[in-house]
Amino acid sequence: MTTKEELLKQLKEGVINYNEEQVKEAASKAIELGYPALEMIMDGLAAGMEVVGELYERNEYFVPEVLMCADALYAGLDILRPHVPKQESGVVAQVVIGSVQGDVHDIGKNLVKMMFDVAGWQVHDLGRDVPLEKFVEEQLRTDAEVVAMSAMMTTTMLGMKKVIKMIKEKNPNVAIMLGGAPVTKDVAKLFGADGYAESAGNAVQEAIKMIARLREMQQTKAAN
Amino acid sequence: MGELTPKERVLRLLRKEPIDTMPFFSGMGMVVMPGIEKVGCKFAQIHTDASRMAMSAIWSSRLMGFDCVVIPYDMTMESEAVGNEISLYENSEDILYPTIPHKKWKTMEEVEIPKDIMERGRLPLLPKAIKIIKEEAPELPIGCWQLGPFTQAGQMLELDMILKAVFKEKKKVEELLDKLTDMIIELGKWLQASGCDYITLREPGVAADLLSPRTFKELIQPRLTRILDAWKSPKLLHICGQTDPLITMMAECHADGLTVDIKNNIKESRKKLGPDVLLMGNVDTYKITCDPSTTVEQAVEHIKWIIDNGVDAVMPGCDLWPAIVFENMKACVDTTHEYGRRPSPAVGRL
Repeated sequence: MTTKEELLKQLKEGVINYNEEQVKEAASKAIELGYPALEMIMDGLAAGMEVVGELYERNEYFVPEVLMCADALYAGLDILRPHVPKQESGVVAQVVIGSVQGDVHDIGKNLVKMMFDVAGWQVHDLGRDVPLEKFVEEQLRTDAEVVAMSAMMTTTMLGMKKVIKMIKEKNPNVAIMLGGAPVTKDVAKLFGADGYAESAGNAVQEAIKMIARLREMQQTKAAN
Repeated sequence: MGELTPKERVLRLLRKEPIDTMPFFSGMGMVVMPGIEKVGCKFAQIHTDASRMAMSAIWSSRLMGFDCVVIPYDMTMESEAVGNEISLYENSEDILYPTIPHKKWKTMEEVEIPKDIMERGRLPLLPKAIKIIKEEAPELPIGCWQLGPFTQAGQMLELDMILKAVFKEKKKVEELLDKLTDMIIELGKWLQASGCDYITLREPGVAADLLSPRTFKELIQPRLTRILDAWKSPKLLHICGQTDPLITMMAECHADGLTVDIKNNIKESRKKLGPDVLLMGNVDTYKITCDPSTTVEQAVEHIKWIIDNGVDAVMPGCDLWPAIVFENMKACVDTTHEYGRRPSPAVGRL
């Protein structure tokens, strides 16, 4: 019988080596043998993606490799996710995500989305070329804790400033994340955004940090 | 200001002949809102009419003191000409460049460039706009540009499909890039024959934060070289994004000059290239020209820093975002002209 550790290793390495078939096989096998799906996702698929992130930072992997690794990860996630019990799934939060109007690229957005999917968040993906008001509407409709916006071109990033203002006016507790090629930390600060995802790998970490901060703020408010 | 007209200044610089002072010009978009307002139209209207395109370019240069005009403004003309619809965002109050929301070709094999592409879509506007500019503003050099084959591929097909195919279906990617390379050569020759004074090959989609330098060398560099060899001078090569690992390979592509953006360590690049290569850049096109919290003094310092790093001309690192802060933009141009009186590494002074 294949041990849990062996399967975790196969999932992890399958993601790193963008081997979709290996990931699918290992994921199916894990379900068949009754191993906990959430553990398979986190310590297998996500652990692999973490290594991919490191390879990207070290300039060993570039965007084409990362995209292929992401395909491998989703191949496993599609099999494993339905088997995660509801109470375990860790769906603690929702995120509204999209590329802003004028931006028809969504590579960055999809990588950030993947990390939310892995972490088990409920993702409301608005797609690309999304009119600004749509982010505000969707946040109000879903009461999502996080709104994540991406712009790959310099020429679209100014639009994000408006959305932040609109959302913060209606609901000051929403955390806003910005990401995309031309957005730097300085720009994010300038726009009044709460988090900035420099790379897809940082996005979820940033989001979790932001929510922790918002919770703290609310607790302090309640205590007073 | 100087003894030379902007056209003389830029064309002499591109031949590495002595000039009076450093020009502020670009191979990419230089249209700014004050110039568009002067023409009396909205941003969405300058892409579809030769006269508006020409006059907004001229007014942008005249109001700011730019040493050139550059047309067109958007990156969708070729993709539109092969049969894709564009979004112009005419109802938006924001400045949004035209985009291709849906691409008609789904696979690389489907791509076929019509022979009469220059007669399709909005491309016929360009010779008309060039003609108007030549008549209205003979003192200004006219820059035109073409996207490189990889970036153009992302306008014709879904970019993530092509990126993945670089590994999975390399042969098909090569065939696609060859077709586009042929198209770019022909369009560039046509623009030159229509009267543009210099041409820029811009390939932002291949920077080292997207593709590996190895892929650049194998897949991109030979095609950029083929295009630049086929065009006559003056011709520039621009790549934005992370170009530090690429700069010496860029110098082997047979362009007359290289241009880079703020992510390039231009001081180091100058060391790698030596004093003879025309190197231009790398104004931060958000922080310096658009951010309202940037002071005129900071803009002036930024330009001096760029010149001290060893450029031969100050050039925005990308299309200028049209919503510039007027005083800061003007300060960038004026500082270039004043501080650029001494010789630069590759170009002497009169």
